[in-house]
Amino acid sequence: MNRVKIMDAASLYKSLGEPDRADHLWRYTPWKRVHPSGDLGEIPNAVAPKLTLSCLDEDVALLGISIEEGIVGAEVLPESDEVTSSFIRAAAGDSVYTLRVENNFVASAPIVLDIDTGDSPCALHLALDVGRHCEFELITQVSGAAPWTGFLRSGRIGDGSILNDVVIGHTDSGTLLRVDSIAIGRDAQVRVGTVSSGSDRTKADLRYKMGETGGHLNVLGSILSADKMHLDHHVEIHHDAPETFSRLDWHSACGGNSRTVGTGMLRVAKGARGADAGQLFHNLLLSEKAEADSIPELEVSEHDVVGCGHGTANGPVDEDQMFYLESRGFDTEEARDALIAAFLNSTLVEMGSDTLHHWLAEHLQDELADLSS
Amino acid sequence: MASDTPVLGIRDLHAGIDDTPILRGIDLEIPAGEIHAIMGRNGSGKTTTANIIMGHPDFEVSEGSVELNGEDLLDMEPWERARAGVFLSFQYPQAVPGLQVGNFLRKSVAAIRGEDAAKGTEFRKRLKEAMEELDIDRSFLGRYVNDGFSGGEKKRFEILQLMLLRPKLAILDETDSGLDIDGIRTVSKGINAAVRGTDSGALIITHYSRILEHVQPDKVHVLIKGRIVKSGGPELALELEERGYDWLEEEAETTA
Repeated sequence: MNRVKIMDAASLYKSLGEPDRADHLWRYTPWKRVHPSGDLGEIPNAVAPKLTLSCLDEDVALLGISIEEGIVGAEVLPESDEVTSSFIRAAAGDSVYTLRVENNFVASAPIVLDIDTGDSPCALHLALDVGRHCEFELITQVSGAAPWTGFLRSGRIGDGSILNDVVIGHTDSGTLLRVDSIAIGRDAQVRVGTVSSGSDRTKADLRYKMGETGGHLNVLGSILSADKMHLDHHVEIHHDAPETFSRLDWHSACGGNSRTVGTGMLRVAKGARGADAGQLFHNLLLSEKAEADSIPELEVSEHDVVGCGHGTANGPVDEDQMFYLESRGFDTEEARDALIAAFLNSTLVEMGSDTLHHWLAEHLQDELADLSS
Repeated sequence: MASDTPVLGIRDLHAGIDDTPILRGIDLEIPAGEIHAIMGRNGSGKTTTANIIMGHPDFEVSEGSVELNGEDLLDMEPWERARAGVFLSFQYPQAVPGLQVGNFLRKSVAAIRGEDAAKGTEFRKRLKEAMEELDIDRSFLGRYVNDGFSGGEKKRFEILQLMLLRPKLAILDETDSGLDIDGIRTVSKGINAAVRGTDSGALIITHYSRILEHVQPDKVHVLIKGRIVKSGGPELALELEERGYDWLEEEAETTA
């Protein structure tokens, strides 16, 4: 039985103890490093962020999509890590909201959810309640100057819905602890994109459950780290139902003294016949002191699968590509920036429509300019 | 600058890679408006010559000079050479996944010909015309640079850049390989348009005389073991087609 049901979040968290560093999730960024104070027994009185829902096209009316206070029926998946999810829930207190999307909701332009953390420790539990046969794109932008931000998303994407869902970690500094605990409905087609270029430290634990037949999921990452940033993303995809499809494609560009970590876990349960799953991590190392670790793992309990694979590739900026761009008049810095942007763009472009991509690409160019200056 | 200063002036060029000599004293001059061809077997130093003019960091020049309109190129970075007016059409152009062709062309034209040349209706008109001349579809602009391009598409794309960048010196390294006869005719038209009647020059590197039927070179040079062993008019290319390189190798050995 899920202990979340029978115990409040704070009690549950306190009952768990410090997570084991041998655990895949905690191997590279121990819980102590992402806890707000490092005193693991302490749960902060976090404030609620300011939420604003809008549409990139101002002429599109937000009918059928809304933010509501409180959470109904969007429990954290039992597959999720109890430490992170219970801690954020405990810290969030009343900062709980639901993004409710009515059945058959369709938007012609991306919806934007701005989450302004303010400048104090901040926490939010947001439930995604996406109805059946919806079709839309959602950009969730987390920004602000909070020294610590906890952001938990739980919920379910309704049957037959098509959703491009991009989360941008754009906080000025501090620590971002992010948890996704999301179920993919029958025949739903979902792209979940992560764009991370802010915060000094990020620990993300992103878990998706393919528990119903025909679900289709693409998880994409464009991660840019610099200075002394430490950005750790753990992605788990659970194929529990037959005929489910998932791909993880994660690109991290790592500069300065920074470190990126990408750990992946693909679990294909017995009975998930016809599952098709793959994960690929690419790391671009931009300096000698930068470090990137990628550890994809597989647990496949079903024999009758289409395919399950994983891979990882690390390397510096390609010298031949540099020479090609320089031969076309790009100076050394312009060529390098163009190659970094191209590397990150390879996954960015897969996150959604041309409109969404254009918006994201502009966002990334701004970040590159900030890092170069 | 004196009017008889060649577009490209190479004198006694010795160069190599990792202490292995490849070029052993090359002299070459290309006057304005002329197209020259270098022919030779694999490993004779043709691509090395192209890379050294463009400034590839892997190669080291031990002796000699390379000048563009009298200006020393060897002290310049590759991008400075490009901005000075050197263009290299690569034998194997690099793919850059994630970098869109349209953005790449705009940035490249802005870097080499100035910001004003890369914007406005004039740029778009020139781009459209050049793409039509080379039979390149508009959808090309949304693709990634050389990513998934066929051999022929890569070569056409190199010539598209040549036409937009309008260099003083165009070096075409085996641009004819990977092209069918129609493709050779099309890119030859682009090369002629970029050089003939202008104050630019071109150096075509090739194994075959096929492209030289469409781009009549003013001079043909034969490179063997890092030296130009013979120069002549366009008829030399035909002679090489008939007789191969053995006779020249023998000549080179007896005079070495």
